[in-house]
Amino acid sequence: MSPILFWLFAFVMLVFGAAVVINRNPIASALSLVVCFMGLSALFISLDAFFIGIIQVLVYAGAVMVLFLFIIMLLDLRVEERRKINLVAFVGGLAVAFALFVQICFVVDQLGAAKQAFPSLRAAKMDDVHNVGLLLFTNYNLPFQIIGVLVLVATIGVVVLSKRELR
Amino acid sequence: MVTLGQYLIVSGLLFTIGFAGVLLRRNIIIIFMSLELMLNAANLSLVAFSRFRLGVDGMPNYNAQVFVFFIITVAAAEVAVGLAIIVALYRARQTTHVEDINSLKF
Amino acid sequence: MLRDYVPLLLHIGVAIGFAVSALLMSVLLGKAGRRTRVKDTAYECGMVPQGETQPRFSVKFYLVAMLFILFDLEIVFMYPWAVVYKEMIVESKLVLWSMLSFVTILMIGYVYALKKGALDWKR
Repeated sequence: MSPILFWLFAFVMLVFGAAVVINRNPIASALSLVVCFMGLSALFISLDAFFIGIIQVLVYAGAVMVLFLFIIMLLDLRVEERRKINLVAFVGGLAVAFALFVQICFVVDQLGAAKQAFPSLRAAKMDDVHNVGLLLFTNYNLPFQIIGVLVLVATIGVVVLSKRELR
Repeated sequence: MVTLGQYLIVSGLLFTIGFAGVLLRRNIIIIFMSLELMLNAANLSLVAFSRFRLGVDGMPNYNAQVFVFFIITVAAAEVAVGLAIIVALYRARQTTHVEDINSLKF
Repeated sequence: MLRDYVPLLLHIGVAIGFAVSALLMSVLLGKAGRRTRVKDTAYECGMVPQGETQPRFSVKFYLVAMLFILFDLEIVFMYPWAVVYKEMIVESKLVLWSMLSFVTILMIGYVYALKKGALDWKR
């Protein structure tokens, strides 16, 4: 875990994450979100979670963002016209978000373990797909089935919600 | 040397950006993207803790990675249903601006 | 440690260099006349175009994309299953049955979408 790479990818991720919120054009926001997720997946890989990193790119950058772009094109969203912003709500929201960040910094500062570096791994080879699989099909078998039911509910929900287009 | 705290701060900053997006933006699609940012910030700190607390075999604690796996799945299912709801809403109201959707407002 | 990334850096450099040089070449070598506002319109003479320049996207795409995500998730769970299958099937048949029940649950959703005509492209 090289510090240079960590700061590079963290910087890329945060800059493009901020771009998602700041951009007025929804398509630019969606594309910034793709770059942000790429940076995040690099951070996952720097934490030796290779499988999670790949899944992040595959599911988020690959599938979820395509869906977001489809919806933006379907609804034909353009650059938002400038509306009168409610100044009180804007400043209040910014203050609440800032307070949240200060609180997070405070909690991390209190955490003693936060100042330690990551211990090095004591294993000859990293087979994290294998280890995730072992846990998934022993300890987490019931949650796995419940996820199946959740995805079933989502499938039916999607079909029902767009039924009007079908017939 | 990269410490656990640095990862947690980066994750907290990403969460704050998503939170600010939900509070400040009025376009429902951007709000939805900001929700995704917040979910992923939580994933980052889970993976950081997984790498920090090694198991007895000297490998990362894979319980956290299984959680991340589930979170990614739930988030993707949520995106599919949420966007279907947004499309249905757009068909009914021809808007994606949250302040135009105020029938329930007192 | 950082030296391992030098090939990756080279790769990124070549990719960016190629993209920039391709764009630059077309600007330098291409015989582009001066662009004016009239020349950029769809018809230089005749009627003035009205309305949107892009046609609206068809709804069918988004329904298929949503169903794609949901079945993509199913495949994501199959990767670790395929890796541990040989090792775990020796101990018990549970790993087989849990995956079969997972797929069966999702198959109900697939059959439902099929019956509702969600995958019918013609309509």
